[in-house]
Amino acid sequence: MTIIILLLIPLAACGLTTVMRTRQWMEAIHLLGAAASFGAAFMLAAEVLRQGPVSSINGLLYADHLSALVALLTAFVSLACAPYAVGYLRRDQALLFLAPSDDEHAVLAKLRMYYSLTQLFVFCMFLVVTSNNLGVMWIAIEGTTLASIFLVTFYGRPTSLEAAWKYAMIGGVGLSMALFGTVLTYYSAHLVLGGDSVSALNWSVLVVQASHFDKAVMRLAFILILLGFGTKAGLAPMHTWKPDAYNEAPVPIAALMATAVLNCAIYGLARFYVLTVRCLGTAFASNLLILFGLLSVGVAVPFILMQRSSRRLLAYSSIDNGGIMVLGLGFGGALGALAMLLHMTYHSVTKPLLFFSVGNIQQHTGNDSLRKGARGLVHVLPISAPMFLLGALAVTGTPPFSMFQSEFMVLRAGFAGEHAGVSILLVVCLVIIFCGFFNHVAQLVLGPPSGAPLEPKSRWKTYPVIGLALLVIALGFVMPAPLYHLVDGAARVLAVPQ
Amino acid sequence: MLFWQDPQFGNRMITMMAAMVLVLQIMMVTQRWLITSIRAFALQSFLLACIANTIAYYNNAPHIYAAAVLMLLVKVILLPVVFERLVSRIEIRQEIEPLVNAPISVIVAGLLTLLAYVVAESLHRPDEPMGPASLGHNTLAVAIALFLIGFFMMVNRRKALTQVLALLSLENGIFLAAISLTYGMPMIVEIGIFFDVLVGAMVLAILVFRIRETFDSMDVSRLSRLKG
Repeated sequence: MTIIILLLIPLAACGLTTVMRTRQWMEAIHLLGAAASFGAAFMLAAEVLRQGPVSSINGLLYADHLSALVALLTAFVSLACAPYAVGYLRRDQALLFLAPSDDEHAVLAKLRMYYSLTQLFVFCMFLVVTSNNLGVMWIAIEGTTLASIFLVTFYGRPTSLEAAWKYAMIGGVGLSMALFGTVLTYYSAHLVLGGDSVSALNWSVLVVQASHFDKAVMRLAFILILLGFGTKAGLAPMHTWKPDAYNEAPVPIAALMATAVLNCAIYGLARFYVLTVRCLGTAFASNLLILFGLLSVGVAVPFILMQRSSRRLLAYSSIDNGGIMVLGLGFGGALGALAMLLHMTYHSVTKPLLFFSVGNIQQHTGNDSLRKGARGLVHVLPISAPMFLLGALAVTGTPPFSMFQSEFMVLRAGFAGEHAGVSILLVVCLVIIFCGFFNHVAQLVLGPPSGAPLEPKSRWKTYPVIGLALLVIALGFVMPAPLYHLVDGAARVLAVPQ
Repeated sequence: MLFWQDPQFGNRMITMMAAMVLVLQIMMVTQRWLITSIRAFALQSFLLACIANTIAYYNNAPHIYAAAVLMLLVKVILLPVVFERLVSRIEIRQEIEPLVNAPISVIVAGLLTLLAYVVAESLHRPDEPMGPASLGHNTLAVAIALFLIGFFMMVNRRKALTQVLALLSLENGIFLAAISLTYGMPMIVEIGIFFDVLVGAMVLAILVFRIRETFDSMDVSRLSRLKG
């Protein structure tokens, strides 16, 4: 029941937004919708923790610890983005980014598009994690792309069209590969299960039978799935759409894409990973995951070192972190899965902080360049700039922040799984990424005052930053017990008995 | 027994139509007129709907009829009509020179078909009893070939609309694989996929239109400002 409510809330908010005529109402519905979704995701997590996996509508919807965790993270990011988006779009309106002149009607149309599509986007992500049927999951993942294309073209610049085209085309080809993989998985299961019932693509049914699947077909299926969902997650070498899309979309959407969508894509990959490992043993799938994970971290290194724009810097950081998650999954064992999920959790809290503070910087200084102009931003933006520095330290895995713990755990899983060479390479890459990141951000934030005017106060834009920063600091020291149980339970879903 | 009730006859029909589907795909690789490409795509989709009907008839699988009807509505009628309108509105009729010229493109398409047969052979199960798998041998190879050639077309072509057609024909390959391997996906998945294809194609058509308006061209190689 909670699952259905979780899905209905964003849909209802989307529908209501399209009929509202004033900005205040749209904002109110957006905020309420995000808060209510978070409440529902929280209830779902509590329910799963209390009584184990729940299902609904004849097993079409299904939530175990893994689904509940990813749904909770999605809802959390969406909740953090909602108030920020209000402040961000109001500022955009003041800067005349939404419409050429202060044309009330055009501005309202833009706002309506933003608020309704965002809720649809969130709905698709909830559907990804709660659908039991792998075909429906694919449809929902494709839905996240479709819902977000017009959010990437939100500002209607020539470059945003270019970014959206890349996003749609690369994403389209990638997801069609994933669909082929899903068809082949269905085929390899079909030989065992027979029948044409809907349940023959249900993960909870497949996972029990997975060891009897046709091995040759399953092998091909996993490669296609990895390429497909890997494209959606932005693993190298299918990552090229990512920096462009993050650069062009409004900041809250970029934050959603960098965390929630990444989580959903890796979630889909993980579901198929479990089936593949049960069918073929760990070696095949793990080696592929390690290859793509390491490649993603490696590709991020030079681009982070040479980066000119802070939004693109964050995109490469997201590619790097996606790679770390996939590596954790690939290293396997209970430890690897746990490390991956912890990393996912911490990343989902830290990345929005970075995006929000960069958004504030960009809206105030008018560009997001790392090279020219802005220096000593700490004097101009006394809250956002230091928080950017804090977030940069946290996201590159500096102790005592929580991402240090999860990265350390990934490395431990690597050494335990006898992937010492890969782990050492990973350490080297992480250290270089830290240096590059810190160099860029410190240059931007620190330094003598440049005499630029102080940032105008906006509660909507600063409180989310402060709140997230407090949370990032707190998570470095305390992990709430229920959350840990949820992550641990999710890791058990992924860890396969040998 | 009438001759069309013989499963062997059905099998031959399916193989023949699948071969024509493949021929159309290779034709689209070299075709420079946009309208002809769109019609080739529509015809290809129509043949796929026929294949779906044939499989449904010989295997008593009524839900494949539904997939065939969806195919007919979405890919044979609706999308080609939308695309032809788009072509007449943006007044671009011909593709510019692709990256790889026509003769070499055909050779590449041939090699990809060969590769598809090799891959399909490794998945073939001769010991399977009669059923979808026995239909699947040739058609699976054709499906994989459609997929690979569609992929090649996307890389090779530079007009935005041709890329969209390539993506859709690549999806046709997946449709063929799904109906020939497993009697199609479960109903709800089938409907969802067609819905996604429809919405996706509409979204892309709007993007094509906006690219044309903004850049005064549909040439995607002009989209090259974002780097690094």
